[in-house]
Amino acid sequence: MLSIVILTVVATVVLYLGFTQYKNVIIPFAVTGIVLVLFCLLTNQSLWNNWFMNMMDIQGSSKIFSVLIVGTTGCLLPFINLFRQRGAEEVADFTGILLYAIIGGMMMVSYSDLMVLFLGVEILSIAMYILAGASRKRVASNEASMKYFLLGSFASAILLYGIALYYTSTGSFRLDIGNSGQSALLNLSYLLLFAGLSFKIALVPFHFWAPDVYQGTPTIFTATMATVVKISAVGALYQFIRYCGVNMSDWLFWLISLTAIASILIGNIMAVTQHSVKRLLAYSGIVQAGFIIISFLNFDPKDSWIILYYLVAYTLASLVTFLGTHFIEEVSGTDDHSAFKGLYYNNPFLAVVMSVALISLGGGPLTAGFMAKFFVLSHAATAGNMALVVLALILAVISLYYYFRIINAMFSRTNDTRNWEIHWTYRGIFAILSLVTLAAGIAPYWLVNLLK
Amino acid sequence: MDTILSIILLPLLFALLIYFAGRKYAAPVALAGAGINLFYFLFLLSGFRASHSVENVFNVAWIPGINANLHFGLDALGIFMILLTALVLPIGLIASLKYSEHRSKVYYILMMLGLSALNGFFSAQNDITFYVFFELALIPFYFIVLMYGGAQRRQAVFKFFVYTVFGSFLMLGSIIYLHSLAGQNSTNDWSMLYDMEFSVKAQTWMLAGLFVAFAIKSPLFPFHTWQSDLYTEGDRPTIIIIAAILSKMGVFGILRFFNVVNEAIAQYQLPLLVLCIAGVLYGALVAWRQNEVTRIMAYSSLSHMGMIAAGIFTATVPGLKGGVFQMLSHGLIVAGMFFVADSMISRTMDNSIDATTGMARSHPNLAVYFFVLCLASVGLPLTSGFIGEFNILQGLSQIRLVLAALAGVSVILGALYTFRMYQRMMFGTPNPLTSALPSLKMNEDYVLIVLMILVLVLGFYPDTWLDLADQATASFLQLKPKG
Repeated sequence: MLSIVILTVVATVVLYLGFTQYKNVIIPFAVTGIVLVLFCLLTNQSLWNNWFMNMMDIQGSSKIFSVLIVGTTGCLLPFINLFRQRGAEEVADFTGILLYAIIGGMMMVSYSDLMVLFLGVEILSIAMYILAGASRKRVASNEASMKYFLLGSFASAILLYGIALYYTSTGSFRLDIGNSGQSALLNLSYLLLFAGLSFKIALVPFHFWAPDVYQGTPTIFTATMATVVKISAVGALYQFIRYCGVNMSDWLFWLISLTAIASILIGNIMAVTQHSVKRLLAYSGIVQAGFIIISFLNFDPKDSWIILYYLVAYTLASLVTFLGTHFIEEVSGTDDHSAFKGLYYNNPFLAVVMSVALISLGGGPLTAGFMAKFFVLSHAATAGNMALVVLALILAVISLYYYFRIINAMFSRTNDTRNWEIHWTYRGIFAILSLVTLAAGIAPYWLVNLLK
Repeated sequence: MDTILSIILLPLLFALLIYFAGRKYAAPVALAGAGINLFYFLFLLSGFRASHSVENVFNVAWIPGINANLHFGLDALGIFMILLTALVLPIGLIASLKYSEHRSKVYYILMMLGLSALNGFFSAQNDITFYVFFELALIPFYFIVLMYGGAQRRQAVFKFFVYTVFGSFLMLGSIIYLHSLAGQNSTNDWSMLYDMEFSVKAQTWMLAGLFVAFAIKSPLFPFHTWQSDLYTEGDRPTIIIIAAILSKMGVFGILRFFNVVNEAIAQYQLPLLVLCIAGVLYGALVAWRQNEVTRIMAYSSLSHMGMIAAGIFTATVPGLKGGVFQMLSHGLIVAGMFFVADSMISRTMDNSIDATTGMARSHPNLAVYFFVLCLASVGLPLTSGFIGEFNILQGLSQIRLVLAALAGVSVILGALYTFRMYQRMMFGTPNPLTSALPSLKMNEDYVLIVLMILVLVLGFYPDTWLDLADQATASFLQLKPKG
């Protein structure tokens, strides 16, 4: 609980720092706050025990989800400084809003009462609606913000409707009261809750917002959307299925299987035709989300590490690809496929770390992505859904096609031989993310033990 | 005790050395790495006791959840391919010396990474290690061809990549299926895996996934369409390695998984053999009508790989023995053939078989080496090619005589297309351009002489290696499939 208090204080101070001339200290201050929060989370510091009447509880897997969210934000924060180079002065606003957003994220992954879930979703979403429109002067960014807001509001409404029906049929907002009724109304509420969360994860058929919003949003906040929002929403789904999965096991199996396979199929097919790399990554994110929810099949809390491992692998790789795309966009003015041509000869470091990240996303060997896919598919096979495994594997070949198309472009020669540099801070972050990707792929034990 | 790990780590060390060495020293350091790898492996080999066991084991816990280990070791089957890798990699590197001004350090680093991955693949002692290194071995060579080679290389290598990955994902499906059936803790080395009993239906599904993966990699007809483009467009020194070693990974995989799916193989033996023999004949016929040196060699390779696979699928003593022996023998021959092709194409910049008429008169030593290699490729007695193909044909005749006869036709066809190529390239009216071509460099001479001697020695004294091949496959016949 202490962590949420610290985040709120830090975020508010950051907002006020924006009024002063000390704009240089904003990011270091925010990063210090993040480190403090991580410390509190990892050492179980807390001020009060009964918080909100136990409506939320950061423990066990919720804690690991929270650490993931906060850690990811810690990697993202330094990149906000790049906005200052572009002349935008709202660094304090962006930083503050991002910090508020992860408070929502932490609520989403640790609720046991549906009201907290809804609060979390709204805190996170409203912050993201604003950040999507961060480039105020670009039409695309405004459009993305508006689209995200409108569609997101619908999703929130669906979620709220689900919550209302849940209350109607059980008489409580709490998930952990051990209700065992099987009424049609309750099942409908589960379905609506699942749909609402699917929207945030960007699962088929609630994925339509993703490509447009990802493309229009400034790339740094696209990275936030692809990582922080997705982790939070998966965490929320995790809590939901942990409490209610028992009551709905028979149809949940098919719901998850079908959603997963539809996401993998449609995401892959759409990604192949994209020219804009950000749109491509949006569809690839849909595919990855499909893989993630496969691990919810026949859910057992003992296997939660599979979901977490996949999320870690996905987050590491997504951060590198999106933030790398940001630099390429800066240099060439577009995120088109052709902008990646010859990157290896202009900026070998970026080309190599992006290749590692893309190989990891595609599930190449000795990267975290391979192990993640392997765990997920082994889990599905043990759950007895071999058809899903085979389909997912065959479709994964398509994903390698579009990831390696980018790699092919990066390693092809062009006449454009400008050399450009990335500041060492960012290179350091990229290097650490890539090394962790490789380390988790070569020797997965340490990470799995951490996540267990 | 962990000696096997050193042939995997040693190339990595050299990759690091190349990274820190100057650009000028990249090629020599890489060659030194490949040379040390060869001698170190020969040293390991001298200590190998001919037995059924696995030696020099390295085994640590690796992947949680399914309790898979990272497990390497030296066994009779692996020895063939690790030896071939150790022999062919220096050849590829020597071939690349003539382009060394155009090759950056990355090229040699990737070569070393490839060597490491291949050593890991051939010494893998369980299916997960095997799978990971199967994919891993592809990546360095993929990047090399992406950066170096002919104008169409990117399309060619991309096709190769997508095909191979499609296959290997199907293999992953089979392995995951296998693990879901076997439960935990049961698959930490090959012998444990071989002892498991799966129903024929389950085996058939596994075989389907595995067969596609290995048929694409080998390649076997009709999964070969990536091959001739890649062999023509890729960086030729790398193609030497791909043709000699990477293509053997497919048949090697069939051998590794043979005992897991033996009942399924027994059940579908005839269709599998027919497919292989069709490939043998198809490859030979297509090679006959090609006019580009590398394409002839590519289709000839397709034909020979079909023969090796046919030998393995017979599940008879001579068939398996011949198949394993021929992996080594064909690896050496094809490396030599592509080395010659590279020597000539790098001089003429022309891939046509009519580009070098009259070469035999102006460059007699090249003509002699090439001739011996061609004879071995055709399978003439007293060359290594004969020993392998003879055993395979004998194995086939134990299954169906007509299959052996059809496969035998390919030997005749082999003579046709090989000597057609040789005649057009080496004889004919001497043209002034050909005689003006620079003669072989000393290192090229040495490589070809060594290959020639190896091919002849294996042809004269095949016993040691045939015995070893027998050992490698003996366990396959203990579980003799129900015919």
